Amino acid sequence: MATAVDKTKSRLGARGLRGLLLIGPAVLFLVAFFVLPLFDNAMRSFATADGQGFTLARYVQLLTDRFYLGVTLETVVLSTVVTLICAAIGYPVAYFLVRKAGRWSGLVIFLLIAPLLTSIIMRTFGWQVLFARRGLVNNLLVQELGWLERPLQIMNTPAIAIIGLVHVLVPFMVLSIATVLQGIDRRLEESAQILGAGRWRTFREVTLPLSADGIGTGAILVFMIANGSFVTLVLLGGGFQTLPLFIYQQFNTTRDFSMASAMSTVLLVIALACLYLQLRLVRRQGGS
Amino acid sequence: MTTFTRRRLLKSGAMAGTALALGGFPRLVNAQGAPLNVTAFGGVWEQAVRDCFVAPFQAKTGATATVSLGGPPQWLAQVEANPEKPPVDVLIMTPDLALTAAKAGLMDDFTVEKLPNLAQIPQVFTDSVIGKGTVFDYGVAGITYNKETVAEPPKSFAEFVDRVADGEFIASLPSIAYAVTPIMLIWAMAEALGGGVDNVDPFFDAVARMKDNLVFWGGPNDFFNHLASGEAELGIYFDGRTWNHYDEGATWMGFINPEEGGSLNAVAVQKPVNANPLAWDYLNEVLDAENQTKFAEIMNYGVTNEEVVYSEKLKPRITPWQNAAFPPYEQIAEVRNEWVDRWNREIGM
Repeated sequence: MATAVDKTKSRLGARGLRGLLLIGPAVLFLVAFFVLPLFDNAMRSFATADGQGFTLARYVQLLTDRFYLGVTLETVVLSTVVTLICAAIGYPVAYFLVRKAGRWSGLVIFLLIAPLLTSIIMRTFGWQVLFARRGLVNNLLVQELGWLERPLQIMNTPAIAIIGLVHVLVPFMVLSIATVLQGIDRRLEESAQILGAGRWRTFREVTLPLSADGIGTGAILVFMIANGSFVTLVLLGGGFQTLPLFIYQQFNTTRDFSMASAMSTVLLVIALACLYLQLRLVRRQGGS
Repeated sequence: MTTFTRRRLLKSGAMAGTALALGGFPRLVNAQGAPLNVTAFGGVWEQAVRDCFVAPFQAKTGATATVSLGGPPQWLAQVEANPEKPPVDVLIMTPDLALTAAKAGLMDDFTVEKLPNLAQIPQVFTDSVIGKGTVFDYGVAGITYNKETVAEPPKSFAEFVDRVADGEFIASLPSIAYAVTPIMLIWAMAEALGGGVDNVDPFFDAVARMKDNLVFWGGPNDFFNHLASGEAELGIYFDGRTWNHYDEGATWMGFINPEEGGSLNAVAVQKPVNANPLAWDYLNEVLDAENQTKFAEIMNYGVTNEEVVYSEKLKPRITPWQNAAFPPYEQIAEVRNEWVDRWNREIGM
C-alpha cells in the first residue's frame, strides 16, 4: 500500500517537475525581459542625478507641476475618447457581423483585418494623402465641386489624430465584441420578446448586458494601446501632448532617462488603474 | 541512425540556450576575429557608408565590418551601458551628443598620429567636439520651398518669418521631437533675429507670430510629405536632403541658404575608448579625400576634407561651411533642455 502511494507521489512529482520544465522557459523569459527591466526602469526614476542617492523629485514634478498634470490628464482623456468612439462604432459592426452578415461574414472579417496587414505608418500616411490641404478631399471640395473657396485645415488638428487612432484600433473592439455576441444564447432574447419586450428593450436589457464582457475586453485593449500610442500622434500631429511623446523626447532630445523612467512608470500605473476599474465595471455588469 | 526525439530536441535546446546565456556565442565569434561594428543612418546613408568607407576599409585591412543602423541617442546609450566592451566601434554623432560622450570620458582622442587624414580636416571641426572625434560631413538647414507655389522665396529668416506670419505661406518647421531642432531651428532663428544662445526670445516670439500658419515635421520624410501633399509651401530643411529629393524626381523643390546663414548641422565621428583598435583604420578611410568625394556625390552633403574637389554638378549645391552659421554646440548643449521645456509649454508638441 505504502509503495503504491509512494509511486503515485513520485509520478505526480515527476509530472509537476515536467510541468515546471515546460513553463520554465516562458517564466524565465518574462522575468528576464519584462519584470526585471520594469523594475530597473522604476529604480532609475528614483535615482539622483549622480546615480548614488534616492529622490522623489521627478514624481513631485510630474504630480504637482500643472503642465505635467495636464499632459497626464490629456493622455487619459485621449485614450478614453478613442475607446468610447471605438465602442460606438465597433458595436454595430460586430452586431452586423454576427447577426446579419450571414455568408458575407468572412468578407466582413477580412475587411476588418485587412488594414492590420498594412504597416501602421503606411495607413497613417494615407490620411495625409486624403486630408492634406491639397489632398484628395480638399481638391474635390475646392477645385472639382467648387463648394469651398479655401481648403479645409484637417491635418494637424485633434480630430485627425483621433480619426487616425480610431481607424487603427476599431478592429480590436469589433473582434472582442463579436466573439462574445456569438456566444449569447439567442433563446434568452426570444424569451424576452415572448414575454412582451420590444426589440430595443430586448437589446438594452438582455443583449447589451450579456455582451458587456466583449465591450470590456475591447475597451481594455483599445485603451491600453491608445494610452501608449506614439506613431499615429507623431505623424498626424493634432497638438496632443501625451506621455508617450514626452518619453520619446526625454530619450531622443533631452537624454533625461530618469525623467523618462518616471513618466513611463506613471503611464504604467495609469494603465493598471484603468484596467482594474474596467475589470470591476465589467464584472459588475456581468453580475447584474 | 540518429533518432530525433522530443526529449533530444529539448535537451539540445536547453544546452544551446545555456551556451548562449554564458556567452559562448560571442566567444566563438571572437575566436574567428571580431568584425568591426560601425554605424550608419538608414536609407541612402547606409549604402553610402558601405560603398565609400566600409568597402575601402575591408579592401585595405582584410578585416570585415558590419553596419549597425540607428541613431546617435541609441548608439550613445549602448556605449554608456557597456563602456568596457562597447557594442559599436565607430559612432556617427550629432555634435551635442558627441560633446556629451566626450565629456563623460567615453571617447578616444583624435590625433594625426592615429589618423593621418585628420591633417586635412580643418581644426575647427575637431575642436568643436573637444578633440574626441571630428566632423566629417555637414548639411546646412535653410529654406526649402515648392517652386510651383512659391514664385519668390524668402531670402532671409527675417523675411521668412514676416511672410509666414502674414499668411502668405504655410510653413513646415522641425518639431521638438526631432533631435537637432534646438540647433537647426531654435538657435539658428534666434541668432538670425538678433538673439543668440543666451537669448532665444526672438525665436519664440517669431513662432508666436507665425503660429496660425505653421505645421511641424517629426522626421525628414514628414517634411517632404508636407511639401508634396501641399500641406505646406516651404519650410526649414537641409540642403543635401532637398537635392536628394530633387535628383529622385522632385524637381519642383528649391533650396536657399538664408542671408543670415543657415545653421551648420555637422555629423561627427567618434571612437569609444575600449572599441576595436581597427576602428582607427576605418576612421582614416572616413576622413580620406577620395572617399569623402564619393560620399558627397551620393549624399549631396558637404564634407570636411580640404582636398575634396566637388564635381560641377555638386559645386553649386554645396554650401561652403564658411558661409553657414557655426553653432556654439557646447553652450547649446548646456541650455538645450531649458529650450525644450519652454517649447513644450509655449508651442506644444
